[in-house]
Amino acid sequence: MGCLQTKHASRSPHLLDTREAVALAAETSFTVSEVEALHDLFRKISNSVIRDNLIHKEEFQLALFRGKKQQNLFVDRVFDLFDQKRNGVIEFGEFVRSLGVFHPDAPEDQKVAFAFKLYDLKQTGFIERHELKEMVLALLDESDLDIASDAVEMIVDRADTKGDGKIDQEEWTEYAKDNPYVLRNMTLPYLKDITMVFPSFVMHSEISETDMAV
Amino acid sequence: MVRMAGKGGSSNGGGGGRESKKPALLLGRYEVGKLLGQGNFAKVYHARSVRTGEEVAIKVMEKEKILKSGLMAHIKREIAVLRRVRHPHIVQLYEVMATKLRIYFVMEYVRGGELFARVARGRLREDDARRYFQQLVSSVAFCHARGVYHRDIKPENLLLDDAGELKVTDFGLSAVAEQMRHDGLFHTFCGTPAYVAPEVLSRRGYDAAKADLWSCGVVLFVLAAGYLPFRDRNLVAMYRKIHRGEFRCPRWFSPGLTRLLRRVLDTSPPRRATAAEIMGDEWFKVGFRRFSFRVEDDRSFTRFDLDDDASTSPPEPDTPRADAAAAGREKPRRVAAGLTSCASAPSLLQLEARGGSSSSSSSSSSSRRRSSLNAFDIISFSRGFDLSGLFEGGGAPEQPPHPAAARFVSAAPAERVLAALEAAASAAGMAVRGRDDSSVSIEGTREGEHGALAVAAEIYELTPELLVVEVRRTSGGAADYEEFFRARLRPSLRDLVCDEDEPTLLQSDERSRSL
Repeated sequence: MGCLQTKHASRSPHLLDTREAVALAAETSFTVSEVEALHDLFRKISNSVIRDNLIHKEEFQLALFRGKKQQNLFVDRVFDLFDQKRNGVIEFGEFVRSLGVFHPDAPEDQKVAFAFKLYDLKQTGFIERHELKEMVLALLDESDLDIASDAVEMIVDRADTKGDGKIDQEEWTEYAKDNPYVLRNMTLPYLKDITMVFPSFVMHSEISETDMAV
Repeated sequence: MVRMAGKGGSSNGGGGGRESKKPALLLGRYEVGKLLGQGNFAKVYHARSVRTGEEVAIKVMEKEKILKSGLMAHIKREIAVLRRVRHPHIVQLYEVMATKLRIYFVMEYVRGGELFARVARGRLREDDARRYFQQLVSSVAFCHARGVYHRDIKPENLLLDDAGELKVTDFGLSAVAEQMRHDGLFHTFCGTPAYVAPEVLSRRGYDAAKADLWSCGVVLFVLAAGYLPFRDRNLVAMYRKIHRGEFRCPRWFSPGLTRLLRRVLDTSPPRRATAAEIMGDEWFKVGFRRFSFRVEDDRSFTRFDLDDDASTSPPEPDTPRADAAAAGREKPRRVAAGLTSCASAPSLLQLEARGGSSSSSSSSSSSRRRSSLNAFDIISFSRGFDLSGLFEGGGAPEQPPHPAAARFVSAAPAERVLAALEAAASAAGMAVRGRDDSSVSIEGTREGEHGALAVAAEIYELTPELLVVEVRRTSGGAADYEEFFRARLRPSLRDLVCDEDEPTLLQSDERSRSL
């Protein structure tokens, strides 16, 4: 169908490689089309400051806080987890795989594990008491809220159900099971609508019919 | 598109012979079944989700045809538009897929067939005609309020679900449908132009809202009469009748129905009744239950009656999940606010009676213990963890505001906070619908643009001295909420703790304030 391609006679490097899209779809809860739609979003974010198709931390912050640059411990953590290769930027594959965890259909245990890693600031395999406290203080600071330090201790203590100063994976998994709302940030209903929010892919999709029928 | 209602034959795939056979499994997600119907641009298949078993209809379009007719940009725009209209009487678009050659629309499957199959067996009782007309007009008004016009309301687009409720399909897809009209197929019972407003036929620039309402009027006539208001074997003669607005109501029409039809089938668009006027009409209002609804997740609605005074506050889905929206009673206006899609995730502070029993849908038991917040609760307040921001910046500019909650910290006792909330409610002319020692829900008595406003507040203990008050809109329009929030709620809470501390907004969430 030569006529389909008149507008994209030469494939720009901005276009998503079909094989990559298919592979990412196979790895995540996304369909190929959803991966293509996400690519549209990715292109917007990754070229907002530096036009290099990579999401730098600054671009990530801008996207999350809608144009306002803001230092935030939690954004840093999310960014670090998205940046699987730990090279300071988020590539498209990393973006899709990480967002895949946030898909409403993604398995619960993926979400539990991701959240654990977020909170395990120093990646010791435990959410330690001082990490909890650091995060509580960061949030209070983010909210310009000043509360007495013994109150902070109490808030932290409430989370440490065993009272041994740290929370391991198992304890966290149990806790998340009993208190499902703690995972609410781990699901983004938007992701189900992604093909309708970014429908441009319908025009330039190069996915073959056979890839569709996987 | 011609829907082959009844025949349902899939024997002949029709059309393109060279076309390879369709995949049995689309994206590993849908099992594609029989052909439901086809037109020039699209084929519609029945399909089933492999994962959930849910039945859907998949509309398959050939890209080449769409490109050749220059409709691609239009389709893109309409997809974005359709996403905004979720309503119990509108066939929903679930997702879109594409390949090099085709575009797939995955849509709600409506089982009951076309409404007009019923009329084909004879005209309806006036009550039944009214009920369908009410459903049609309320969905049309709902869309108009969101800047979405159907432009092709006609029999094939009016379906019935299992329960016999009306479902309007192809909203926003009119360009495709209009093109399909050129396939020269005029349907037996009612040729398409029969439903088209005179100003549209004469290809003048026209008000799409008024044109849609004309079509609704023709539909109403057909339902109650069993035949078209403007009919003639000769197409030119039919056009002429439409232009002159020449129609005669049969003698079995009640005077009220005739009167309404005269107002709707008025050839002058400015004189023609608006949606709001139709909905205020005496004949229309009989038995009409205004309703509002919230989108529970992307597939289901919770409906509740607005006219039911028996203080049935909506069964108080203690999970103020998604934004709610009201049935459209509003004047056609371009507004981007309102119903939406998003946030079906559980509410952050949905501390379902923690500490107590963990009945998953904590009923509004009044003896619930006030929950205290721990480190994890508090940390999750951070905006840094809320990735939904990613989708708003780059996403559709018209996306409705996220129904986020606002949280305050207060040093006052809970009773005083509750009293202040109630005072704010009564000052705003709202009624308290439910209350216990840690929550209050209030509801507007006045119908706003987007239905009555409903607000829920929950109180949690942060420290023995400090409370967190979470306030969220559970239904009604964003602008109404803003007004209530700014003019009533904030001042009354501020007064509450002025001698202690400034009331602090724990997570100053602009998204709830930006409109």
